[in-house]
Amino acid sequence: MKRSLIRILTVIILFGLFLQACTPAATKAPESATKAPEVATKAPSSEVVNIAFWHAMSGHNGEVIEELVKRFNDSQSAIVVTPTYQGSYDDSINKLKAGLQSKDVPAIVQVYDIGTRLMIDLGVMTPMQSFIDKEKFDVSDIEPGVANYYSVDGKLWSMPFNTSNPVLYYNKTLFKEAGLDPEKAPRTWADVTEYSRALVKKDASGATTQYGCSFAIYGWFVEQFLAVQGSYYVNNENGRAALATEATFNGQEGVDLLTWWKALNDEGICVNLGRATSDTKKAFDSGVVAMTLDSTAGLRDRIDAAAGKFEVGVGFLPRSEEADYEKSGTIIGGASLWITNLRPQAEQDAAWEFVKFMSSAESQAYWHIQTGYYPINSAGYNEPDDVAWRAKYPQFQVAIDQLHMAPINNYTAGGLIGVFPEARQTVETAIEECFAGTSSPKDALDKGAKSVTQAIVDYNDNIGQ
Amino acid sequence: MMKFLHFKNPIVKVLLYLLLIAGAVVMIFPLYTGVLTSFLGPETISSYPPKLFPVEFRWQNYIDASRQAPLLRFILNSFIQSGGVMIMQLITASLAAFAFAFLPFKGKNIAFLVFLSTMMIPWESTIIPNYLFIQKIGWTDTYQGLISPFMATAFGTFLLRQFFMSIPKDLYDAAKMDGCSNVRFLTSILLPLARPALGTLAVYSFLQTYNQYLWPLLITNSTNMRTVQIGITMLQVFEREQWQIVMAGVVTIMIPTLFLFFAANRQLIRGLTAGAIKG
Amino acid sequence: MEGQKTAHYKHGTPFQKELKNWLAALPFLLPSIIVFTVFIFIPLIRSIVLSMYGTNPIGQMTSFVGLKYYQRLFTSDQFINSLTVTLKFVLYTVPGVILLGLILSTLGNIRLKGISVFRILFSLTIAISGATAALLFMFLYHPILGIFNYLLSLIGVSAIPWLIDPKWALIAVAIPRIWLGTGFATVLLLAGMQGIPEEYYEAAKIDGAGFWQGWRLITVPLLTPSLFFLLVVTTLNAFQTFTEVNVLTNGGPINSTEVMVQSIYRSFYFNGQYGYASAQALVLFVIIMALTIIQFGVLEKKVNYE
Repeated sequence: MKRSLIRILTVIILFGLFLQACTPAATKAPESATKAPEVATKAPSSEVVNIAFWHAMSGHNGEVIEELVKRFNDSQSAIVVTPTYQGSYDDSINKLKAGLQSKDVPAIVQVYDIGTRLMIDLGVMTPMQSFIDKEKFDVSDIEPGVANYYSVDGKLWSMPFNTSNPVLYYNKTLFKEAGLDPEKAPRTWADVTEYSRALVKKDASGATTQYGCSFAIYGWFVEQFLAVQGSYYVNNENGRAALATEATFNGQEGVDLLTWWKALNDEGICVNLGRATSDTKKAFDSGVVAMTLDSTAGLRDRIDAAAGKFEVGVGFLPRSEEADYEKSGTIIGGASLWITNLRPQAEQDAAWEFVKFMSSAESQAYWHIQTGYYPINSAGYNEPDDVAWRAKYPQFQVAIDQLHMAPINNYTAGGLIGVFPEARQTVETAIEECFAGTSSPKDALDKGAKSVTQAIVDYNDNIGQ
Repeated sequence: MMKFLHFKNPIVKVLLYLLLIAGAVVMIFPLYTGVLTSFLGPETISSYPPKLFPVEFRWQNYIDASRQAPLLRFILNSFIQSGGVMIMQLITASLAAFAFAFLPFKGKNIAFLVFLSTMMIPWESTIIPNYLFIQKIGWTDTYQGLISPFMATAFGTFLLRQFFMSIPKDLYDAAKMDGCSNVRFLTSILLPLARPALGTLAVYSFLQTYNQYLWPLLITNSTNMRTVQIGITMLQVFEREQWQIVMAGVVTIMIPTLFLFFAANRQLIRGLTAGAIKG
Repeated sequence: MEGQKTAHYKHGTPFQKELKNWLAALPFLLPSIIVFTVFIFIPLIRSIVLSMYGTNPIGQMTSFVGLKYYQRLFTSDQFINSLTVTLKFVLYTVPGVILLGLILSTLGNIRLKGISVFRILFSLTIAISGATAALLFMFLYHPILGIFNYLLSLIGVSAIPWLIDPKWALIAVAIPRIWLGTGFATVLLLAGMQGIPEEYYEAAKIDGAGFWQGWRLITVPLLTPSLFFLLVVTTLNAFQTFTEVNVLTNGGPINSTEVMVQSIYRSFYFNGQYGYASAQALVLFVIIMALTIIQFGVLEKKVNYE
C-alpha cells in the first residue's frame, strides 16, 4: 500500500515538473521567429522591423548563413532578421505550403531551383523584379546565366543565392597510372568510354578492383545531359515560352544518353552504385572509381578526402560530341530567396534590403569561399579573399568557365514545371528499368514521359489552367 | 532444489555463452560501426577496405556536430517532450486498459477496435490538419503543442490490457467484495503488479517520441524549441555530405537515451524478480 | 474479451444496467477518447472529405470529384505495385521480428552469470529511431566500401548490390526494420517470461520435462498474450513503414520498395495530389482494419489469458 502511494506521489511530482517545464515555454513563445512581426507591431516606439528568414542550409553551410545574417543585423539598426533552419529543401517547401493555409509564413524563404514554378503558382510571392524596378536597382553584376533560370515571363521572381553546376571529377593519379594525360579531362561521351577502358582493372580472379567511372542515377544529371545537347525537358521550350503541358525528355537525345550510359555499365568499365550521389562520391574518394559526376559545390570535399591519396582533376560535363560545346550549355542548380506578399509592406521592404545584402559581391565572395557554391554576383570574384581562394583551388576555374560558356537560352534556363520533384524521381525509375534490362532506353523513357505528362496535366488542372 | 532455467553442464554453458555472444554481436554490430564512423576523418571514411576496428579518434567531429546544431538544447527539449508524452500516456493508457480488461459494458469489442483503429491511419496523412489545429489555438512553438497529440495511445492501452487480462479476475472480485473502488483497485493493486508492463510502455513511449521528426519540425519555428532529430538533419548537408559528423550527432543524441534505458532496464528486472504474479 | 455475460442483473431493467455499466467505464475511457477525437478522428473525417475533392497547390479543396481518385487507384499499376510491395514487406519483417525476439528472449531468460548484460544488449535497439537505423545501414550497404560486402568478400561471396538491385532492395530495407523490431520484441517477451512463476517450471521438471518441453508447454502458452500483442502491433507498424524506405531507397529501384506510405507521402508532399493521397491512406486504413479484425477473430481465442 505504502509503496503504491509513493509511486502515485512520484507520478504527481513528475507531472508537476512537466507543467512547470511548460510554463517558461508558453511565456517564451511570443519572442520566437514567426511571432516577431507581432512584437514589432506591438512596440511602435522602436522603428525596428523584425523579419523571419526560413532556410534549408545545414551543417557548415548553415553556420555560414547565420554568420551572414549576423553581419547584416550588425551593419544597420532598422531591421532584425531571424534565420531559422526549416529542414531540407523538401521539408521547408512543405512547411511553407502548410503554413500558407493559415497564413503563417516568413518574409523570406529559401527554395530550391526545381520549386520555382510551384512558388509562382502559389500566388503569394512578390517578384524580385518589382523591387528592382521600383528602385532601378542595378542587376548587371548578377550572373546572367543564373538570373535566366529564375526569370519567368521576363520577370526575375527570386534572387538566386546558392548556385552550382555538375562537373566531372577525375583521379589524376589513376590517369597517370593508366597512361592517360592527367591534365586532359575527357570532353565527350566517346572519351569517357575510351578512358574508362584504359582505367578499369581486374584482379587475378577476374573481379574488378578499379572502375573507369560511376555516375549516380540522379535526375539532375539527365536534365543537364539533355540541356547540353540542346534539348528540352518539357514542351513549350521547357515551359518557358508558355506553361508546359507535356514531358519531352524521351526524345532521341535522352535515348542516346541512356544507350551510352547503359553500355558503360554493361561493358563492366563503369559501375552503377545506385541513386545516392554520396555513394558515388565515396567510391571516387576511395580511389576505386576514377571518374564521377558531382556538383561543383563538392569540390573542396573531394580535395580534402583525396588528401594524401591522390590528386583531383575537374572537367566539363562530358558532351555527346565535340560539336555540342558550341550548341548549348549546362543548367544552374541550387536555390534562391523568395519574398512573400502575405507579410506587411514594411517587412517586404526590409526583406528586399536583406536580399540585396545577401547578393552583394562581398557576401557572395564570403559564401563562395566558405561553401564552394558559385558567387551569383560576378563582382564577387574580384574580392581579394575570393582571388586567394581560387589560387588555392585552381580546379574551380573549370566550373566558372562552364558557367560562363553556357549560352543564355531556354535550353540552359532549365525545365519549368510544378511537379519537378516527381518528374525527377520518374526519370530515375526509367533509368533503373533501362539498366535492369526490363525496358529498352526508348520504352523506359516513353513510359516515364507519359507518367510525367499526366502529372503535369493534373497539376495544371489544380492550379486552374 | 534444482532450478529449471539453470544449466549445470559446463559444455552446455559454454555453448549458451557462444549463442548469447553471437546474438549480442548481431544486435550491436550496426551501432558499433556507427560509433566507429563517428571518429573517422574525411580521408579514412572513404577508404578500402572499410575499417572494422578503430583507427583514429577524431573528437573534432563531435565538436563540429555540436557547433553546427545546438544538440544540448535539443536534447533538453526532447526530454521535456518525451517525458511529458510518457507520463500522459501512462495515465491515459492505464485508465483505458483497466476498463477494457475488467469492466463489463456493452460494445466493448467495438470500442476496443475503435481504439486500435487510431493505429491504422498513416500519421503522415493527418499531420497537416493537426498542424493547422495547433496553429489555430496558438500552440506552435510550445511544449504543449509538441506533446498534446500524443497524450493517448492505443498501443499502450493494448499492451496494458494484455497484461491486465492475465491477472486473475478473482483478484478484482475479491477487492470489490471488500468494498474497494475501481480507482482504488487500479492504483493500489493493479498498477503495482503491472510494473514490468508499465516500464515497457514508459521506455517505448519515451523513445518513440524522442525519435519524432516531422511533427516537431512543423510546429516549432524557433531554433530553441527544436528537438533532437531535427538536429540530425541539420548535420546532413545536401551536395556536401559529411557522414562522420552526422554519425557523431547520432551518437551524441543516443547517449542520454541509452543511459535512461539502462536505468529503466535495471528497474524492470528488479521489479520482476521482486514480485512476480502468483497464479 | 469476456465479462459481459457474467453480469447478474440484480435490479433495474437491462437497459438501466447497461447504462450503469457504461457510466462506470466512461471516465476511464474518456481521456483517451478526447485525445483521439481531436487529433485522429477529426483529421480522419477531413481525409475522407478530402479524398473526394480536387485541391489547389497548398491543399485547399476546390472542386468535388466524387469517387474519381478511388477509381483511379484501383486501375493504377502503381497502386497495385505498392500494395504488393507492402504485403511482401510485412511478410519479410513480422515473422522475422517475432522469431528473433523469441530466440533472444529465451536465451536472455536463462539464469547465467552476466545475463543482465546480454539482456540489455539484446534490447538496445529499442532506443534507436528508424531514421538512425537507416543511416547506419546505408553505410553498411555501400556496394564497394560497405562492411557487409567486405565481410562477404572475406568468405569468398561476391558483392551483393543491396540497394541497387530490385531483387535485393526490399530485403535490404526490411533488415534494419527487423533489427529495430527485435529489440522491442525481446524486451516485451522477456518481461512476459519473467512473469512466469518458477514453480510452474519446477512442477514440469518433477514430471520429467526437459528444457524444450518446458519451453513449448509452459513458456510459449503463457506468453500468448504478449505474442498476440506483438503480432498485431508489428503487423500494424509494418504496413505503415516509411522512414527506412524514405532514407534508404526513396521507393526505388524501379519502385521495388515503394511501400504504401511512401507512395502516400509522395502524392501528398511532392505531387500536390492531396485528394489522391487521402484516398490511398483510407484504402490502407480499410485493409489494415480488416486484417486486424481477422487477427482478433481467429487468433485471440487461442490466447491464454490466465
